Amino acid sequence: MAVDTLPPVIRLRGLQKRFGIGDAENLAINGINLTINRGEFVAVMGPSGCGKTTLLNILGLLDRSVDGEYELDGQPVSEISKRKQARIRSQQIGFVFQSFNLVSRLNVIENVALPLIYKGITRTKRLQIASDILRNFHLNEREYYMPCQLSGGQTQRVAIARALVNEPSIILADEPTGNLDSRSSHIIMEELSDLHKRGNTIIMVTHNPRLTTYASRVITMLDGQIDTDTRNITKQPVTRHRKKSARKLKRGKK
Amino acid sequence: MRFLFLNHVQNAFQSLRSSRVRSALTMLGVTIGVASVTAILALSGGASKIISDQISSLSGNIAVIRPGIATDPIISITQPKLNHYYATSTLTEADILYIKNTPHISEVAPLMVLSGSIKASSVAPSESTVVATTPGLANISNLKLREGQFLDKDLKQDAVVIGTQLSINIFGTESSIGRILTIRGQTFTVVGILKRSNNPINYNSIDFDNVAIINFTEGKKLNQNVAQIQQIDIKADSIANLNPAIANISKTILKSHNGEKDFSVLTGDQISQSTSQLFYMIAGVTTAIAAISLLVGGIGIMNIMLVTVAERTREIGIRKALGASNSDISWQFLIESLAISISGGIAGYICGYLIAFIISRSFLTFDPIINWQISIVALIISIFMGTLFGLYPAFRASRKDPIESLYQYS
Repeated sequence: MAVDTLPPVIRLRGLQKRFGIGDAENLAINGINLTINRGEFVAVMGPSGCGKTTLLNILGLLDRSVDGEYELDGQPVSEISKRKQARIRSQQIGFVFQSFNLVSRLNVIENVALPLIYKGITRTKRLQIASDILRNFHLNEREYYMPCQLSGGQTQRVAIARALVNEPSIILADEPTGNLDSRSSHIIMEELSDLHKRGNTIIMVTHNPRLTTYASRVITMLDGQIDTDTRNITKQPVTRHRKKSARKLKRGKK
Repeated sequence: MRFLFLNHVQNAFQSLRSSRVRSALTMLGVTIGVASVTAILALSGGASKIISDQISSLSGNIAVIRPGIATDPIISITQPKLNHYYATSTLTEADILYIKNTPHISEVAPLMVLSGSIKASSVAPSESTVVATTPGLANISNLKLREGQFLDKDLKQDAVVIGTQLSINIFGTESSIGRILTIRGQTFTVVGILKRSNNPINYNSIDFDNVAIINFTEGKKLNQNVAQIQQIDIKADSIANLNPAIANISKTILKSHNGEKDFSVLTGDQISQSTSQLFYMIAGVTTAIAAISLLVGGIGIMNIMLVTVAERTREIGIRKALGASNSDISWQFLIESLAISISGGIAGYICGYLIAFIISRSFLTFDPIINWQISIVALIISIFMGTLFGLYPAFRASRKDPIESLYQYS
């Protein structure tokens, strides 16, 4: 692959996903055409049940589309073996779920180190990397807490740390701030936009229109189809709150 | 597999610790099974060892000829042949004659075990045996007498030598020289009483405390004049001459049997293949227990693993989303079931020896054997069970759909 002709990270053509059979058939995604380039921060919005989460799952190779084409890095996904798909999930994709989805049996640092297991990194190294990334999120004092002992914001930060620990190029976030208060939301959004600035591709599903200010492109979905697709939002002035949390993050990363 | 193996092991033990009672109960099935197997093997090994000790204490110039081809020890434990009563022996009187005439053979004693009641003032219990043989047996098997004398050519044919316990059982006393007993209605006079040996397991398969030894010709008479030889004991004049003599005997008998190898000549450790009926009973019962408990234990493992998989559906979804492949997931659960079965197996190995020692100290006259082969067998059984009964749950886990798993309970 020549550097100057890098294909888009994600290209969807006529994507369809059906649930149920017969009379109960229901198209969750009904013909989506979408191209996402490297380094975009896409916010996906829309009412409940319009297929946002399903789209995200398909993009993250967790679910399969029934019809249409999905090319990831120029390669049709239907031609990639399951094992290979698992490796792509392990090395290129980071998931942030709305419901955090930490493994409740494992403590914070083990949860964060979980994706590294499947990259074949030794235990000591895993814990080292996990510890480093937790420090970035100001969670280094919580390393040996169990997930149930954390607040919502902390839990989501752990979940994001886990999504980032294997340095994925694509980050898929399903309502990452859905359960959080605005303060925690902003800290997390700062983190995501910081990742975006470092060249990562971020696709975020959200209900909150305020969060779209962080994105470079906003897509709204309706009934399994793309309704609007707005690019190049004029950068809004940075609020006082955002400044403050940005400073805080920078200090933490030193 | 990269570095995952160690991680799976740590993970498995963590998950087992998190539900201690459940894991312990699941292990119990394997423990009982492996304990039975270990106890059987340890005791059978001990029995073999006691016989081989006897052989070596008899200066090692003894050989035994048995009808049929010698089977390997494991088969003879699991499928005991009751050849005393049902099989027609392939050894004949002519064979005895050949052996007698072979150079360097100092003693020959055919053993013919008869069924039939022994009666005097009371009837002997069923574990008593009647053996027809020649006077040479006393020398070969080193039989010591408490009173009187062993069979002799010069004595009357209706002489009988009995074991101490048999004497007590039928006469009510240990001193019964000169008293008369009946075997299958025929009368015999007691000429000697054997010293108590307390050793029911030996290479003659005869409990010499509970035996009535009569002359070979008398035995034949009781058996419609047919010689039914279960075993021929032979003794060479020296250890060095034993092997050439055996080779000689084998060749002659083979020829007289029309080239059919229907007998086996055993020396040294080969003889120690345990043949005692008592032992077969114990081994048979414990093998059945072992097989059933291993099966039930295995089903228990599968059951618990299926529950574990169902409980951790969400975790499976998370792991898959984070990059675990199907085989990573199935290894995780397979190793967990292996951890259960191997831990259970180790516990069973220890319990098996405890049981073996308790049995041997309270009922038997020998100690169980301790060697590495038994531990390997226990380990292999555990691994086999963990794999066999863990495969299906592991397969189910790996096939779970990540989306359905992730959104379960949420």
